[in-house]
Amino acid sequence: MKQMQTELLQGTLDLLVLKTLQTGPTHGWDIAQRIQQVSRDVLRVGQGSLYPALHRLEAQGWISSEWGASENNRRAKFYKLTAAGRKQLANELELWELFSGAVALILKTN
Amino acid sequence: MLNKLKMRLRALLRRAEAEHDLDDEMSFHLEKEIEQNIARGMSGEEARLAALRSFGGVEYFKEEARDVRGVRVLEELWQDLRYGLRLMRKAPGFTAIAVLSLALGIGANTAIFSLVDAVLLRTLPVAEPDRLVLFNWQSGKAFRISGSRGIMMGDYPPGVRGGSSFEYHIFEKLRSDLVREQSSPLSSLFAFANLWDLTVLVDEQAEVSKGLAVSGNYFAGLGVPPVIGRTITEEDDNPAAQPVAMISHRYWQERFGADRAVIGKQIKLNQTTFTVIGVTPPAFNGTSQVDYHPAIYVPVAFEPTLMGERSAMKPNKPGVWWLQLMGRLKPGATLEQARDSLNGAFQTLALEMMPPPKNTNDVARPEPKDYPNLVALSGSRGMWEMRKLYSFTIYVLLGVVGLILLIACANVANLLLARAALRGAEITVRLAVGAGRWRLIRQLLTESVLLSLLGGAIGVLFALWGKDALAAMGTGHGEFLPANLEYSLNWRVLGFTVLISLLTGILFGLTPAWRATSHDLTTALKESNRSAGSMSRSRVSKALVIVQVAISLVLLVGAGLFMRTLRNLERVELGFNQENLLLFGLQPSSNGYKDERLLQFYERLSERLDALPEARAATFATIPLIAHYQNNNTLILPGETVQTGARHLTNIQIVRENYFTTMEIPLLRGRHFNAHDDGRATKVAVVSETLARKYFAGEDPIGKRVGFDEKTAGQIEIVGIARDIKYASQREEDEPLIYMPWRQNGEDLGEAYFAIRTTGDPMALTAAVRQSVRELDSNLPVRDIKTQAAQASEILKPDRLFASLLSFFGVLALLLAAIGLYGVLAYSVTQRTREIGIRLALGAQSRDVLRLVIWQGLKLVLIGLGVGALAAFALTRVIASQLYGVRATDPLTFVMVGALLLMLALLACWLPARRATKVDPLIALRNE
Repeated sequence: MKQMQTELLQGTLDLLVLKTLQTGPTHGWDIAQRIQQVSRDVLRVGQGSLYPALHRLEAQGWISSEWGASENNRRAKFYKLTAAGRKQLANELELWELFSGAVALILKTN
Repeated sequence: MLNKLKMRLRALLRRAEAEHDLDDEMSFHLEKEIEQNIARGMSGEEARLAALRSFGGVEYFKEEARDVRGVRVLEELWQDLRYGLRLMRKAPGFTAIAVLSLALGIGANTAIFSLVDAVLLRTLPVAEPDRLVLFNWQSGKAFRISGSRGIMMGDYPPGVRGGSSFEYHIFEKLRSDLVREQSSPLSSLFAFANLWDLTVLVDEQAEVSKGLAVSGNYFAGLGVPPVIGRTITEEDDNPAAQPVAMISHRYWQERFGADRAVIGKQIKLNQTTFTVIGVTPPAFNGTSQVDYHPAIYVPVAFEPTLMGERSAMKPNKPGVWWLQLMGRLKPGATLEQARDSLNGAFQTLALEMMPPPKNTNDVARPEPKDYPNLVALSGSRGMWEMRKLYSFTIYVLLGVVGLILLIACANVANLLLARAALRGAEITVRLAVGAGRWRLIRQLLTESVLLSLLGGAIGVLFALWGKDALAAMGTGHGEFLPANLEYSLNWRVLGFTVLISLLTGILFGLTPAWRATSHDLTTALKESNRSAGSMSRSRVSKALVIVQVAISLVLLVGAGLFMRTLRNLERVELGFNQENLLLFGLQPSSNGYKDERLLQFYERLSERLDALPEARAATFATIPLIAHYQNNNTLILPGETVQTGARHLTNIQIVRENYFTTMEIPLLRGRHFNAHDDGRATKVAVVSETLARKYFAGEDPIGKRVGFDEKTAGQIEIVGIARDIKYASQREEDEPLIYMPWRQNGEDLGEAYFAIRTTGDPMALTAAVRQSVRELDSNLPVRDIKTQAAQASEILKPDRLFASLLSFFGVLALLLAAIGLYGVLAYSVTQRTREIGIRLALGAQSRDVLRLVIWQGLKLVLIGLGVGALAAFALTRVIASQLYGVRATDPLTFVMVGALLLMLALLACWLPARRATKVDPLIALRNE
């Protein structure tokens, strides 16, 4: 199975994180796990890119964080989508459709 | 946006918490990873290692996460500052030398900049000084005026003349036009002029003070309110009004003990009673700012009352041009508009006033191209031209302290280079574990800027001391530095200090920081701190030493030249005996003495002074010698007329008949003056050798008749020839000088300077002299009482100050350079311990080692001396005009200074060299 651990297209990781958080608040490790599972192990998000991305998104006000208890009652930081984040996700999804569609069109020729 | 700001603020204020959160988040992630690994069947230890491996560099990610917080730069700056302070505490010797070097350099620069600020930059302490205009005028040479007073300055191109003063009627007309003209760009036009010597009588105490004549709208125009009382107004500026005066804050404090009852007090100025109406603010010192600080302000209209026959104002006819003109611009108006609005009227009036032709080549009316025109200058800094006189001193001093700062920077850069080499290991390790180069350079720069800021702070203390020293050095008279200058460390000066501190920190820190971080990692790690970058490092520090030596040589040569100049001036043959002579001045004319009464006064006072027990003889003349006073006129030789005469400019001295014997000026031929040379007898004169030689080449001047104007041409008979003397200063070439007896020239004796030849200490006579004058007229102030030797020494003050300031800075530079040289060699000896050990082990004698090390330093010094000599050769031309009896390229000075520098350099080399000979080969080799 091929893995695309690194070099996600610039901005794509942000989109994936926002999309993952759409289902509800969760912590960093879970976000990474879900992306991996949902993509059937194709996409693996390294911690090195995940946490900076989370902090960046938080700084932009698209997600917010608070400390809570994990499944086994361990202190963990939970991230959740803000209203601005929801809007941003919608925008980015639209852009992504446009983009991937365009790329697919080019690749289909010949 | 708000969110972002909140987060940054929180990150900055609650850094520890944020760091803790970050740690927590990362460890939570790791734990989950380990849990999963265990669930997959790994052992506990395996699971942990696998998790760590997949996580990667924890610290690196934390660093990235911190980046997002956006305050990293500030956080790191704080980190660097603390680290820098810790380093400074750990190396107190290094810190002390570096900070002291910088403090001297920055302190010297701050002190000199406070001078630049006070003399060249500071604006008048009045309302909105930027809206003030100062007027001058310029014309072709064909335009003439009826005499002028005040400062005639400015660099006029050939064929152009000009001045900064105006005639009273011109001012009055321009001002009254302005009042009517609604659309004028000026809201007011006012005038002022120095009244140099006012005899002030307060409570029966007479003294001489400086005055300023001001137009009635002067204080209103400047926007200067009184501290107490009221200011002079338009109503006061009228000859028919009650005479009133304002006094300066300082005069109020010194003379009246700041008593508020001074308002309404009657004081006598040159015999006329004035009422004090107000006190000017403490910061306000008239419109010159430098040198001339008036004590008393009177309305222009009272100038004729005060000055009597010497008045510049003539009713209903053109007078002397004596008033300085200033205006205030309406908001938004420009200098050009102000000039254009007045120029037409000025031109018409000035041409109307042009005096009729006197000489053959005078024209009745100039061509339009030679018409006078107004020049409008910014008045924000007052009589700016006056201050520009001092720019020579200031530029020389700025150059000197700039060089000192360069030396200090070179010193610290050298120290830092040495330290950077020692810290090579630390820096390579940091680079190896992933520190960014820019990040490291920033840290090293923070350290050097920290040093320079500390140096700057201490430098301000030096500057505080230095500015007092500078203030005490003020000489006035347009030489060296202004008198009465008020220096202050204001925001501009302190801003300058902070700026140069930052700049020097970056200047001397950049090269070492750049070099320190450019190591090749593998070799550097392998060789540890042994020789990383030492080749290029030593090249840079050698260059720095050469530069330091060169700069020191330049400064010391300058100091040497000024010292020789001073010595030459002090040894100038004056032509008269200056020992045991007491001088003082009197101005009887200001108390109303004239004609026969004036002569009687001098006669009676001379007799009294002659009779003083400690006095051998008393004499007087119109001016004191060697005091920069000059009284000259064009001499008309036999056979010439006023119209045809060439310009034989001749110094004049009107003297009591015993002048030559009292001053001990030898008479070469002819006779002395005597009591019969009075108004009824033929007018006579004694001339100097130089006059006889220049004007009567090959002829005998005795018996020839000369004169000064139409009235006296061919009337004054030369009866004697005296040996040349120095007249106004030691520097002057022998110039033609003519002596005339006092009884025949009473009209020119409004003031006189007495000289008493004493048997003992001249100053012991002071009280007796004052008593003698008081007995004749208790209202007549005695001025400038001092010995002739002190007088001659006083006018050498600028030369003395230049010599001592340059010597001070030269020695400072020399010491800094010696410290630098010592540092470089000492470091090099440490680096070469092993090599020296091997040499000694192979049989080298300590003599050889000594020679090896000394020669290493001496080479640099010799190159530096060569470079410095070339630079000094080029630079000393700048000061050539200030030298006397020594050429700017004087070989003796160059050689002496070079030798001095070489001697100190040898000492600086010898100390580390001696240490090198003490190297124990066994220890040196074992250490490897």
